[in-house]
Amino acid sequence: MKLQVLNGATNGSAATAVIEPEAPVGRAGVPSESLLAQTARRLKRSYTALFGLGIVVLLVLVAIFADVLAPYDPVVNSMNEMFQAPNRTHWLGTDQFGRDMLSRIIHGSRVSLAVGLSSVLLAIFVGVPLGIIGGFYGGKADTLIMRAMDLILAFPVFLLAIIIMIMFTPTAGLLGAMKVIMAIGIVRIPIYARLVRGSVLSIKEKEYVEACHALGQHDPKILLRHILPNCMAPIIVTGTLSIATAIIVEASLSFLGLGTQPPTPSWGWDLKANVAWIQQTPWLALGPGFAIFITVLGFNLFGDGLRDALDPRLK
Amino acid sequence: MREYIIRRLLQVIPTVLLITLVVFAMMQAIPGDPLMALLGDAYDEEDAQLLRQEYGLDKPIISQYFIWLGKLVQGDWGESFISGRPVLQDVLIRLPVTAELIVLAMLVALLIAIPAGTIAALRQNTWGDYTAMSTALMGISIPDFFLGILLLLVFSVSFNGLLPSSGWVYLPGTCPSLICEASVWGNLKHVMMPAIALGVGRAAILTRLLRASLLEIIRMEYVTTARAKGLTEKLVILKHALKNALIPTVTIMGLQVGFMIGGAIVVETLFAIPGLGTYGINAIILRDYQQVQGFILLVAVCFVVVNVWVDLTYSLLDPRIRYNA
Repeated sequence: MKLQVLNGATNGSAATAVIEPEAPVGRAGVPSESLLAQTARRLKRSYTALFGLGIVVLLVLVAIFADVLAPYDPVVNSMNEMFQAPNRTHWLGTDQFGRDMLSRIIHGSRVSLAVGLSSVLLAIFVGVPLGIIGGFYGGKADTLIMRAMDLILAFPVFLLAIIIMIMFTPTAGLLGAMKVIMAIGIVRIPIYARLVRGSVLSIKEKEYVEACHALGQHDPKILLRHILPNCMAPIIVTGTLSIATAIIVEASLSFLGLGTQPPTPSWGWDLKANVAWIQQTPWLALGPGFAIFITVLGFNLFGDGLRDALDPRLK
Repeated sequence: MREYIIRRLLQVIPTVLLITLVVFAMMQAIPGDPLMALLGDAYDEEDAQLLRQEYGLDKPIISQYFIWLGKLVQGDWGESFISGRPVLQDVLIRLPVTAELIVLAMLVALLIAIPAGTIAALRQNTWGDYTAMSTALMGISIPDFFLGILLLLVFSVSFNGLLPSSGWVYLPGTCPSLICEASVWGNLKHVMMPAIALGVGRAAILTRLLRASLLEIIRMEYVTTARAKGLTEKLVILKHALKNALIPTVTIMGLQVGFMIGGAIVVETLFAIPGLGTYGINAIILRDYQQVQGFILLVAVCFVVVNVWVDLTYSLLDPRIRYNA
């Protein structure tokens, strides 16, 4: 089985590598180790990947239990408490509207994680089928899909996200977050379409796929049961690393005022708002900034570990 | 070679046409009547109708596209709704500022990546390697604008304005108006922090890539042969290994320019640099869609041009490519 891993260009190693997982070497009567079990075993040995996973799990828990964990309401203004330095009641101080920064950072994790995860899922759910269809059927469908992908790639990713957000008009709340998810998801579709198409082109020539055809199996069954599972490893690795990129893009959009709008807590927006007061209250910009940095670091550490676990030779 | 260059340059035409199509469609998709934005409080249906005829907005959408495209080609990119200034002139004034920022950021990236990537590869699995790789991972994970804020806190806030926190001083001879300040040292002081903020992330990416390429190349037979010939290790690495390892690095550098354009928009906004990024963002905030259109068009076209330049450079570095193309 050949697997193709394409690391997102933003995470440093954009090289495309063809992976040949070790052949099953189970003794007679003993089932050979699955790719999942091999990956889990290798992941357990990588302390950095486990550290990254720990950060991710912790952030997910913070996002889920934000209502319980946050000491104050993140959107309620308290004008007599504005610009407080970190103290016992407000551990990270208060912003220009007297809102508790810690509470805003805790609630901001929801937007960042929701946008990061959902935009990548959106890109996968659209990009993977397009890549499969293009790679498997070829011909006009492939040409049409790939030219559409080329059109998206003709724009710098961040610029295209800005264009889409201008068209959508940024708003606050859940609707605002959904618009950002759509914008980031759309610009990431070509990554998965190209990645999967490349894998399918290789896999469809394998004997076991020919055998399926010979047995009279229908295309959808072959695609879903035999081809898609063999494309999953690179999708998972790229997806994990893409979450980190998506979180940075979301924060950048919010920093420019094109992400989710206030009063919805957002790390990027809070960073932008607090930069204006950097001379007087420098600590206010640090909280949201480090929150973004640690989150992205967590996903990158875990993604790198996952890639190494799926193909140790890339280490 | 000439044939390859001509073919590659010709491929730019359909891409740029597609970009114009997307930008035109985007402008059509923006909710609201553009004439309302143009006329503002003075909006009157009769005046609006006259303007529709004048701008060709009453014609079918396809005709509108070709009229708009014809004007673009002739250098008429429209006028700002707010300032009334020609958009093309404004974006071209700001382009050198953004270009300088990106070039210097790339220089910062290379100055960090080449030694760090080389040391990491040559000292694989030692503390030098681990330090370079851990730092690179942190560099990848830190957003440009947050690094910019940290630099601001250190060099502008803590050291009492050692480096300026905002604004711009032009290079001598590039000043677009009569009243702007121009000096080499002033320009360097203003561009230093933004260039570092934008370059560090790219340095991290290039370090990882260069390390991976070098690790692959130093195990190749021709490197062993070079060593067997008795060449010094320095010569083997510099002349044989590093030169070849830089080929994929150039490609990724080109691809990174796309990300740097995005990063430059944010960094320019943070440091209040009068480049294309701040121009575009201000236009978006003020809903001056003529300016927005000009900004997007110019940035997208620059991206295409950079990609072509990277392709051509790549073919110069690796002659096999042009024969296979």
